[in-house]
Amino acid sequence: MEYVDSLTGFRLDGRRPNDMRQIRGEIGVVAKADGSALFEMGNTKVIAAVYGPREVQNKGQQINNQALVRCEYSMANFSTGDRTRRPKGDRRSTEISLVIRQTMEACILVHLMPRSQIDIFVQVLQADGGTRSACINAATLALADAGIPMRDLVTSCSAGYLSSTPLLDLNYVEDSAGGPDVTVGILAKTDKVTLLQMDSKLPIDIFENVMQLAIEGCKAIAQYIREVLLENTKLLESRKGL
Amino acid sequence: MVGLSLGEKQFIHGGIAQDLRTDGRKRLHYRPISIETGVIPQANGSARVRLGATDVIVSIKAELGKPSSLQPDKGKVAIFVDCSSTAAPMFELSGKWKMVLGRGGEELSSELSVALQRCLLGGKSGAGAGIDPSSLVIVEGKLCWDLYIDGLVVSSDGNLLDALGAAIKVALSNTGIPKVTVILGPSPNDQPDVDLSDEEFLQFDTTGVPVIVTLTKVGRHYIADATLEEESQMSSAMSVSLNRHGHICGLTKRGGAGLDPSVVLDMISVAQHVGEQLMSMLDSEIAAAEAAAVQEQ
Repeated sequence: MEYVDSLTGFRLDGRRPNDMRQIRGEIGVVAKADGSALFEMGNTKVIAAVYGPREVQNKGQQINNQALVRCEYSMANFSTGDRTRRPKGDRRSTEISLVIRQTMEACILVHLMPRSQIDIFVQVLQADGGTRSACINAATLALADAGIPMRDLVTSCSAGYLSSTPLLDLNYVEDSAGGPDVTVGILAKTDKVTLLQMDSKLPIDIFENVMQLAIEGCKAIAQYIREVLLENTKLLESRKGL
Repeated sequence: MVGLSLGEKQFIHGGIAQDLRTDGRKRLHYRPISIETGVIPQANGSARVRLGATDVIVSIKAELGKPSSLQPDKGKVAIFVDCSSTAAPMFELSGKWKMVLGRGGEELSSELSVALQRCLLGGKSGAGAGIDPSSLVIVEGKLCWDLYIDGLVVSSDGNLLDALGAAIKVALSNTGIPKVTVILGPSPNDQPDVDLSDEEFLQFDTTGVPVIVTLTKVGRHYIADATLEEESQMSSAMSVSLNRHGHICGLTKRGGAGLDPSVVLDMISVAQHVGEQLMSMLDSEIAAAEAAAVQEQ
């Protein structure tokens, strides 16, 4: 199957190789949570809710000099193309939970909140490739909404290499083609990579290009997330009557 | 929600007794309801319903299947509810709920699924169902639509059953099932070939789908649309599902405390009255959502 049209250079869904899908972020979608956000990348749609910092529920897990960060990733029954009823905590979701937790923990200033706990819950409503990235972006927005002190904004984006072309932000069809899939997470301001995962194999010089493309994607998302947060702050300001 | 203090409990009880609840509503008033349709584009139909801080999403997927041999002239409808972890801390905290719910809200999920099935799908034979299962058959005994109704609780602030019932009703009105052309094989035992249309969709007749009204008894009075705080003070609750003609389609009583039969009848007649208001409120919201969708196109 040809993933990039050899004549026009367009991809299956009409994007150019270094185009991202349309992204949309919304803050405050779960009324009862301390912070929450919805993040869409094309047809991929996830909700993140943050509870905390609060008292540690399981005293055995308490850490005396920093906050405990927990994360749970789950997929709705209707999120995939074929309806499946998957149990909570299968291997894939456990792995993604762990990835999200480690990535977010790296940017939260955990030492400021000793003996407390922060819960991040991400729920996939619709999966169309790049759920990992979308979850991290949603979690960043939700953490910012909850007012949790962070070093920087973490944003994530994926890139792949199909039909000898580096492609930004793979959708489900491209993702399941079996080619390399590089997911990168960066700290936007300090320009540091906090998350890097790749499936399949790739020559090192091409890998460099693909990773660079993913980083560019992350930066574009960071720019957008900053705008969303700024707009939200302005809204809060006007509500306060300032 | 953290456990309530004695003063807070008395405030809730006192307010209900005086017909002025903590959020300023009267006993039988609903919170403002907001509806969004088509939130899951991959599904055949979907809706998101917000009732105060309660937030649920319902998606409807139709898949081709084979009717059961016992009922060859009927399609299958299944309802599943999942309590998302985004609402999970609500399920973890309060002591009473913890015993009822078990881990991760799984017991609550199955309780809600069963209650919804009872209220919307009628008896085992499928008679009296809000969704007519015989309208889902394509070729008798061979081919039918299986309708999967999945509910997801995103945020929980009490009265989940009413919110889910309303969301299912809205999602059904938003559902389009592809038109099927069947090419029968030469021998009657062959599995028929099917051709799904991309353009023509069949709409459901949702006039018969009931709404669910839950009346929660707190102290000596009962209230409609209880919040999580009010629900924590309930002695028992009655969920009545009512159709457009005010007929009862299903009943569920929850909570341990016993009720006098005369109170039960009284609650049902009040529920009928509240149900009418809820039904007309939903109808106008559905019409508004449809108009908005048309305008967007």
